[in-house]
Amino acid sequence: MKNCKSIVISILGVLLCGIGFYFVKSLTDPQGIMKTLPYILVGIGCGMFGHGVGDLINKKVTAKNPELVKQIEIDQNDERNIMITNMAKAKGFDIMTYVFAALLLAYGLMGASMEVIIPFVIAYLFVQFYAVYIRLRKDREN
Amino acid sequence: MRRGNNLRNRLETIRKERGIKQEELAAAVEVSRQTIGSLENGRYNPSIILAFKIARYFGMSIEEIFIYEEE
Repeated sequence: MKNCKSIVISILGVLLCGIGFYFVKSLTDPQGIMKTLPYILVGIGCGMFGHGVGDLINKKVTAKNPELVKQIEIDQNDERNIMITNMAKAKGFDIMTYVFAALLLAYGLMGASMEVIIPFVIAYLFVQFYAVYIRLRKDREN
Repeated sequence: MRRGNNLRNRLETIRKERGIKQEELAAAVEVSRQTIGSLENGRYNPSIILAFKIARYFGMSIEEIFIYEEE
C-alpha cells in the first residue's frame, strides 16, 4: 500500500509520455499551444516516471536495511549538514542578486523588449522583497 | 580548537579516554560522524541542544567539555 503512490505516479508518467509521443507523431500541422504541449507532456511524463521509479527503488533498498534508513535520517537532520545547506543557499542567493542585476542591466543596455525586461524586473523585485519580508517576520517571531 | 574563536572543547580527549569511537558517539547523539570530527577539530561549534546531548552522554556538565575563554 505504501508503494501505491509511487506506482500511480510512475504509471501516470508513462501515460503522459505516451500521449505526448502520440501527439508528436499524429499532429501534422499543430497550431497554437499544440506546438509545444506534446513536448511538455513528454517532459512531465519522463519526470514523473523517473520520480516514481526512483522512489520505488529507494523504498525497496531501504526496506531491507533499517540501519541505512536510520543513517539517512541522521544525515538529513544533522545540524551541521543543515547549517552547511543553509549557508550554501544564502551564498547562492547573494550571488544570484548580483548576477541577475547585471543580466538585467545588460538586457536594458541591449535595448531588449519591454515584454522581457518588465517581467524580469517584477520577478527580481519579488524575490528581493520576499527576502526582506522573511527577515522581518523571523525577526519578530524569534 | 576553533580558529578565530574562543570556544574550545575536550571532546576528543574525553572520547578517547572512554574508548568510544566517533561513529558510536555520533549514533548516540544522532548526528553524522563528520559532525563529531568537525567538533573535535574545532571547525564547528555545536548548538546548545547538541552540547547538552553530548554532555549527558558522557555524564558531565557542558562546561567540563566545552570551554569558553574570554578574550
